[in-house]
Amino acid sequence: MNKQSNAWDQISTFLYPVAFGALFVVLWQTGLLHRLLGADTFTLPLPGRIFTIIEENTPAIMGNVRATLTVALGGLALGSLIGYLLGVLAALFSKWGKGGLTLASAFNAIPIIAIAPILNNLTKDFSTDANIRSMFAKILVVTVTSMVAMSVNAYRGLTELKPFSLDLMRSCAASGRQIFFKLRVPNSVPFIFTALRVSVPGCIISALVSEYFAEYIVGVGRQIRENIVLAQYATAWAYIVVACAMGIALYAALLISERILLKGRG
Amino acid sequence: MQFARKLPKTDTGVDDGIEIRIENLSVRFPDKNSRATVDALTGINLDIRRGEFISLVGPSGCGKTTLLRTIADLQAPSEGTVTVRGRTPREMRLQKKFGIVFQSPVLYDWRTARRNVCMPMELMGLPRKQRTRTVSEMLDLVNLLGSGHKYPHQMSGGMQQRVGIARALATQPEILLMDEPFSALDEFTKEKLNEELLSIWSIAKKTVVFVTHNIAESVFLSDRVVVLSPHPGRVSAVVEIDLPRPRHLAVRDTPAFGALVSRVRNSFEGV
Amino acid sequence: MNAIRWKKFFASPKWVTVVWVLGLILVWEIGATVVAGVKRTPENVLPHLYQIIGSVFSSQKANSTQTAIQIVLSNAWITLMRAGIGFALGAMAGFMLALLMSLFSAVEKMIFPYLMMIQMIPILGMAPIVLAITRDIDKSRIVIAAILTFYPVATNTLSGFKAVEREKRELMFSLAASRYDVYRKLLIPSSLPYLFTGLKIAAPMAITASILVDTLQGGGGLGCMMSQSLKHAMTIYVFWQIVFLSAIIGILSYQLMAWLEKLVSPYRRSGGDFPATDAKEPTP
Repeated sequence: MNKQSNAWDQISTFLYPVAFGALFVVLWQTGLLHRLLGADTFTLPLPGRIFTIIEENTPAIMGNVRATLTVALGGLALGSLIGYLLGVLAALFSKWGKGGLTLASAFNAIPIIAIAPILNNLTKDFSTDANIRSMFAKILVVTVTSMVAMSVNAYRGLTELKPFSLDLMRSCAASGRQIFFKLRVPNSVPFIFTALRVSVPGCIISALVSEYFAEYIVGVGRQIRENIVLAQYATAWAYIVVACAMGIALYAALLISERILLKGRG
Repeated sequence: MQFARKLPKTDTGVDDGIEIRIENLSVRFPDKNSRATVDALTGINLDIRRGEFISLVGPSGCGKTTLLRTIADLQAPSEGTVTVRGRTPREMRLQKKFGIVFQSPVLYDWRTARRNVCMPMELMGLPRKQRTRTVSEMLDLVNLLGSGHKYPHQMSGGMQQRVGIARALATQPEILLMDEPFSALDEFTKEKLNEELLSIWSIAKKTVVFVTHNIAESVFLSDRVVVLSPHPGRVSAVVEIDLPRPRHLAVRDTPAFGALVSRVRNSFEGV
Repeated sequence: MNAIRWKKFFASPKWVTVVWVLGLILVWEIGATVVAGVKRTPENVLPHLYQIIGSVFSSQKANSTQTAIQIVLSNAWITLMRAGIGFALGAMAGFMLALLMSLFSAVEKMIFPYLMMIQMIPILGMAPIVLAITRDIDKSRIVIAAILTFYPVATNTLSGFKAVEREKRELMFSLAASRYDVYRKLLIPSSLPYLFTGLKIAAPMAITASILVDTLQGGGGLGCMMSQSLKHAMTIYVFWQIVFLSAIIGILSYQLMAWLEKLVSPYRRSGGDFPATDAKEPTP
């Protein structure tokens, strides 16, 4: 009795979501979803049509994916690096650092739309090539948005130590340098992943939104917008599917690397 | 003593002086690492008399908490039966005949001490007037009448646990089940609460099943101490505690107390 | 003596914040001075703060009828209303779904993987398509704000239900409490802090969403005015005022949720006053 219910538990954990997803796709393909939402197949094309478009336009789509990924990952890397360094600075000068980070996390509530046009204006002189300078502006937007999460979490990781671990290091007469590299930095690793769990989905969103305001017309986000302006809804949907796939793929990659790197930490 | 009130007592079921009868009880858990099962308890036979203060004592893994949880209907037996006043634990639970005190106080941090004690009576749908009166009585019983307005985070661990005891008594249960209620407290607070618990018990006249890993505590409190041994969990001895009542902390310094503690300690097997 | 007093002055966290703000203002002003030296139209890149503040109080008309600040405030109202409605709808839907998932494990199994996936889908990127489907700027603002609010509220509330200690559930079980009572007296109150964590994440996002949707089409709203100002259809200071206003609204929306949380959970309010270690045991 017990064993049976256990097996069913495992099967249903897998079966229920698959069934739900299948039902959704069927509803969509058969047009029942359209009736529910009051949409037509022009603005909300059938799944089959969307995938045909993705298949037919693979080279063009890949080019835009590359542009968006460059922005998202470049900004994420830059922002996380700067954020971590800011966290280190804040941990070194804790009293001032904490106040600064409190202020920084308040800025987290600022809509990204507000900073995207500012950064666009700021970087006008960066290069004569519109592609390069708007790429730079977009990366800056992502950098700013992913910096806050990382700096706050890095600070917590560097300062929220296990009880008595600092006493243990001091009792071994460890130098400040040794304490930093042997205790604080390893302690901050799980916190880095906490920050990335926020900023990885965030970096895709900021990349897409920053493309809306960029000077140069390239990227998945911009294509969604441009195609809608041209009333090519099926193509826009193809780019939306691609954007979702990018988000999910990046997040999955993060979870896998987290599992590998944090193995044994429990 | 200041506890001069007698709590109302309800009577149910057949009366043969036995409150809880445990017959050939076994509890098995599935093992996490293999397909095999772990014997938490095997072949337990035990009769607990009405109004008795009984302790289950033993090292971790001996199944003392599992035994308590089985009586409380929080755990189903794999074999054997538990009968409480001739009824199943489930029937008794549904009639709210158990008062439980856990290891942690399990207070709702969004309720004051008063409203925490009140909570079980709200579930029973008692009228407000009666609830208010009982809450005051119970808080008085545990010496917290002046702290009813405090939230859990404003109270010390000992005070929180006393609120937990007051809450367990508020429904006028037949049986008080206590699962290591004082193990997280410091020695001084624990001793004081031990003494208070005895005076509450002498007024309330409940049957108490008290789980602990502290031998001295079990000897001080109980009429009988049930010694459980692990792997598999079984009863290895039942020690009758014939110290006179009412007992005060000074009894701990007597040779008779020391002898009983040794007897309990020497009853453990395979530890 | 004097040195000690200064030290005390700087030690309080309030002054740390003040000094940080002053520092940021200083950096901004230095930047603005540099920009003013090298650019032909510095107000497009980084104007001085006093210029922005001055534009707030300027009585010069920015379009035919309104001054800059009148435009900003009247459009802020439109944006805020839509964000607020979407936020409320999304929060309610999120809470209801968390409740359903906690009540029926089949629902949880069915929905939970997708709920996690929504988090990775750039909803803001889908704003244009929502507009295309609803064909109404107001509706799409509400829908996007609701979707963005929905998932942090749903996931946080659900983890709030799950975080309730086993012993607290067992206490309710041993008292033979009904399912309704278990939710009303235990699960919902104890999940409130988690619900508010979700709301605090969602509130600034709902506002961001509302502004973003504004930019997609005319018809008023902060985002719409922002685009027009950037295209020099009206003074650029409208843009700068909106930047500051949206920052302030975003921060205030977070603070509003924090304040609401304190209001509905008074048991946390006096947290610092009576630390458990200081409480005295009454002597029996």
